[in-house]
Amino acid sequence: MTDVAIVGAGPAGMAAAVAVADAGFSVLVVDEQARAGGQIFRRPPAEWGQRHGRYKPYTWAKDLIERFEDHPGIQTAFRSTAFGVLRDRTNGMGLQLAIHTPEGGRLVPARRLLIATGAHDMPVAFPGWTLPGVMTAGAVQSLLKSQKLLMGQRLVLAGSHPILLILAEQLLDAGAEIAEIALARGLPKMTEMIAAVPAIPGHVALFADAARALGKIVARGVPLSHKTIIDGVEGDAAVTGVRLAKVDDDWARTGAVRGVQADLLVIGYGFNPSTELARQAGCKMRWEPALSGWIVAHDAAFETSAEGVFVAGEPTGVAGAERSWAEGQMAGLSIAASLGAVFAPAQRRQLDRILARAHRFSRVMQAMFEPKREALADLSCPKEVIICRCELVTSGRLEVVLAQNPFISSANAVKLECRSGMGPCQGRYCEGTVAARIAKTRNATIKESGFFYANFPIKPTVLQAFCDLAEETNGLLAGAALSSMAHSQPVAFIKPARNFGNQGIVEPPSVTDRLMK
Amino acid sequence: MIKATRIATHRGKPVTFTFQGQTVTAFLGETLATALLAARVPAFGVTRDGAPRLPFCNMGTCFDCAVTVDGQRLVRACLTDVRADLCVIRHEAT
Repeated sequence: MTDVAIVGAGPAGMAAAVAVADAGFSVLVVDEQARAGGQIFRRPPAEWGQRHGRYKPYTWAKDLIERFEDHPGIQTAFRSTAFGVLRDRTNGMGLQLAIHTPEGGRLVPARRLLIATGAHDMPVAFPGWTLPGVMTAGAVQSLLKSQKLLMGQRLVLAGSHPILLILAEQLLDAGAEIAEIALARGLPKMTEMIAAVPAIPGHVALFADAARALGKIVARGVPLSHKTIIDGVEGDAAVTGVRLAKVDDDWARTGAVRGVQADLLVIGYGFNPSTELARQAGCKMRWEPALSGWIVAHDAAFETSAEGVFVAGEPTGVAGAERSWAEGQMAGLSIAASLGAVFAPAQRRQLDRILARAHRFSRVMQAMFEPKREALADLSCPKEVIICRCELVTSGRLEVVLAQNPFISSANAVKLECRSGMGPCQGRYCEGTVAARIAKTRNATIKESGFFYANFPIKPTVLQAFCDLAEETNGLLAGAALSSMAHSQPVAFIKPARNFGNQGIVEPPSVTDRLMK
Repeated sequence: MIKATRIATHRGKPVTFTFQGQTVTAFLGETLATALLAARVPAFGVTRDGAPRLPFCNMGTCFDCAVTVDGQRLVRACLTDVRADLCVIRHEAT
């Protein structure tokens, strides 16, 4: 039994782990990457001889990573996937985290769980987006930063998030040829810049970084177009060109389409919080479009609606590394306090101030760079566009499903009807498009389309890992029906049975039941 | 094919493995995704429509980099470190 299990070793997870371990509790941190840092601080592998990467403009990153890595009280499991939260209801709160490590499956009983699973690039479906040669900004940046691999020969960067400018600078430094940077929005308006001023103290570096990047881009003569959006890509086996179109302030198409020759299109329209583990664990979700969509609801102590399960960082709303770091510290203290630790009020107040400052800053950033989801979803409208990358569900198929089933108005119902969201990515890359297209067809809001349920296991997991869990718990898992219509009820963990027979297995609700919910 | 280029830096020891029966050289510390992209393979996997796929997210969420490694299906190349003598083949969706 570990006191605290933390999923995610990014700014939030690391900060929380340090706080929890400093208070004297045992902690295990699980992450899919090979080293701590999260996506934001990806760095080359340890065996290449450098401890640190470049963390600019986050001046606190190096210290946080060192404190985390050098802390004797913190255990880690890297290259490991947390694939579900289970409850042993025979044993109090009974929190157990199922993880798949390079050595096999493992069930980690923990007194508290922190979900600090970060975010991933927001997918945008458009004609040809599944072709080799279309990649997310996060993919291109992480290959460059942590693997020293430069993708593409002639690049087009399209999006609306400031990370695109910082990535462009890094690519130019690495010798890339950027054919064009196409931003969907205009540059921030003067009123927005003035509104940003109160948020700047302490964060000048980040603004300065983006501004400096922009300066370099302009100086290098890289074409930078505003109010321009992707129309699609050309190519049969791989991208040979990108089609771009002019848009208005609402990102609605206004002008003719033009082509740009390129072998790589990099998309950066923003981020989605990675919340599937929280959904599966039974945490209540809340729709907050300015915070990147469906986020995990929590109280002031960062505890979710699921007993003993806490959340910090991007799953509470995508707000950047600074705020994730602050939230991680707060969540770590809260968890320690819930386990009996006592803190000086002064420490708490200081953290409140840090959090408030990070919050103010991120709200300004969010207002400036919130993507226009409806307009982005419109890019997926041509019939042949693949909406679900895994199950190859096209836009045309989705239209037919909605036309033939007038009672279907939720993302989950669409998933059950046509498999969009049922493939290996488990809906991470089609949920937003499906929800927005339902909303458009039914003249409803994206919120009303809801979100995909997340079930155990939340990522495809080899059966051997399940067998390992069962062995570890002496057959305890045998009856784990693992039914987790989890956003509405706690994860079921059925009492021990002796083998993998049918006894004790709870039938999942029928399709009709689900649709009625 | 996308041109992917290793930037000069100190890398790990060179190792070889096979992809579709062809020998690929990589460096310890690289992921399978990096090694295969640098080898400029045209597809990590093929959809049931026969369409090629390459890594899309490089952070373990999209599964477009999935390959079969030593008989194990649906292994994410972006989260797998290269080792000598791995037998890697394309993911063929069914």
